Amino acid sequence: MAAYSVPAGVCTNYFNIDDILASQEKVPCVFNAKVAALGYLDQSTTDVDLNVGTKLELPFWLARFLQKGARNIVTVDTPKTYKEGYRNIFTADPNVVDLHRLGPFFYLFGGKLLTLQLPDAEEIADVLLKTFQGRFRKIMDGSQNALHADLTSQTSVLDDQERHLFAAGQDSLHGFHRWEKRETEKLSTSVMVANHRKRKRIGAMPTAS
Amino acid sequence: MDPAEVEFLAERELVKIVPNFTQDKIYLISGDIGPFSAGLPVSVPLWLAVNLKQRQKCRILPPDWMETEFLKEKKQEEADSRFFTPMPSPHYMELTQLLLQHATDDVPRADEVRTLIKDIWDLRIAKLRSSVDLFVKSEASHAKLNFLTVMEINTVRQFLTKALDHMHQLRGNVSGSSQASHSQFI
Amino acid sequence: MLAEKALDLIRELQRTLSGTLSPYNEDKIRQVLEEMQNLYDQNRDRAHYAAGQADVFAAIQLRHAAIQRNKRCLLAYLYNRLEQIRKMRWEFGSVLPSDVRYNMCEQEVQWFTQYNRQLANYMKTIGESGGLDLTQDMKPPKTLYVLVRCIMDHGEFETQDGNIILLKKNSQHYLLRSECEHLIRQGILEHLVH
Repeated sequence: MAAYSVPAGVCTNYFNIDDILASQEKVPCVFNAKVAALGYLDQSTTDVDLNVGTKLELPFWLARFLQKGARNIVTVDTPKTYKEGYRNIFTADPNVVDLHRLGPFFYLFGGKLLTLQLPDAEEIADVLLKTFQGRFRKIMDGSQNALHADLTSQTSVLDDQERHLFAAGQDSLHGFHRWEKRETEKLSTSVMVANHRKRKRIGAMPTAS
Repeated sequence: MDPAEVEFLAERELVKIVPNFTQDKIYLISGDIGPFSAGLPVSVPLWLAVNLKQRQKCRILPPDWMETEFLKEKKQEEADSRFFTPMPSPHYMELTQLLLQHATDDVPRADEVRTLIKDIWDLRIAKLRSSVDLFVKSEASHAKLNFLTVMEINTVRQFLTKALDHMHQLRGNVSGSSQASHSQFI
Repeated sequence: MLAEKALDLIRELQRTLSGTLSPYNEDKIRQVLEEMQNLYDQNRDRAHYAAGQADVFAAIQLRHAAIQRNKRCLLAYLYNRLEQIRKMRWEFGSVLPSDVRYNMCEQEVQWFTQYNRQLANYMKTIGESGGLDLTQDMKPPKTLYVLVRCIMDHGEFETQDGNIILLKKNSQHYLLRSECEHLIRQGILEHLVH
């Protein structure tokens, strides 16, 4: 019942789960300034403070906050997956890359990186677009063709947003086939109720602790 | 949109029936229907035609295009053309589906009709997918596809709108215009 | 790392969104609130001597960012649960299964009750003759009456024309579509098509 939910495509939403998870991905940082009493964030040292030159992998949300504008507390570097070496792999054959393993928020996190004023931002933006364009046909055909086939091998290498896309394609395909077989006339149990009952039957209902 | 909703829209299309009863005009919100005279053809909405047929109150006269010679030509034309060719009805798929389900005996060579329509549909859907792929790979910001029917559009709607959203974001990345659209939240 | 516990809440949402509602994680929420309070206290204590001390000021900013991140995760946790509960109103109907209700916190139960009431009031005001049930005819209706079979015992049921029928497992009935659509969606009746 998609009509009653917040559209999944809108990632600028404060409450968006994917946006929160994507902004948790790690970015390599070097501290330009001393930070008092927060040495415990660096587990490789017992120093009380975070000293100048400390290297830490910080979640994106924190890295950008510390880097932003006049604050300039850290200098950020491009994460490995978005550096030239990987970029060449993506452009060579986008279809063989396992974006789930490398992501799973390959595009969303990649887009966020562009706000960090990295020297290779332009190349990153370019590779995100090219990778998607290169993979698009396979995702579309995969989601529109296989009706009953096992799809896990196809979807397991997809990035999170690609999976949403794949699911949308599957949804339309199933809807159309149900219509073709005249199954849409039949009123059916709502999806949530059916799921709920299934879980209850196999005893997998999470019990309150 | 659910295909059932598209079908609902298609059910407003007029088809000709030959009733086996006689009755005055019926006045409905959606328009007047009838009068019915036994044995005389009259145009009614598809939903009513199907309903009357189910109750053995009429014979349905299939639309002119629902016959094998025309459809064979149409199929050839569709296969030969790079673009979509105009279809004889904006709801050709739904009409075929409903008439062949409820009034098979009124459609000559029904099985052949069914196969031909399905072939034409498949040709068009394959074309639609290639166009979509071409569009996504190009630098174009808009595309125009003529003569697509609602049901055809509906099969790619969810996928396409999501894909275009995604593309818009990625293109914005390249031109630098989407900086603002990446959330500034912590 | 800071704000890790709050992220656990988000991961929990991600795991459970598709089917049901996970138990309201009161314990984890308390831990997140404690972390926020700690960070806030530390910042307050240092604020008055931070002037001119860049390293103290930097630390205050860093802690502040962590507080905001925690806040975002907490609010997202609560918001997405409410969204889920709202969807459930449309799928399960006005009475939720007991195990779902059991997993809601008190405020969520209150919210659900109020949402229920507002929806009912709103539907009552549509049109002139007693309102319109928006949760009905989710698909274009085809027939006035439908043939149904009971999937489970449901007891007595009074039809609009005043007859009382017994909805007993495996019994079949010919009912007005409008009066049994809810029971079909709730999985008590099965719609039989030719």
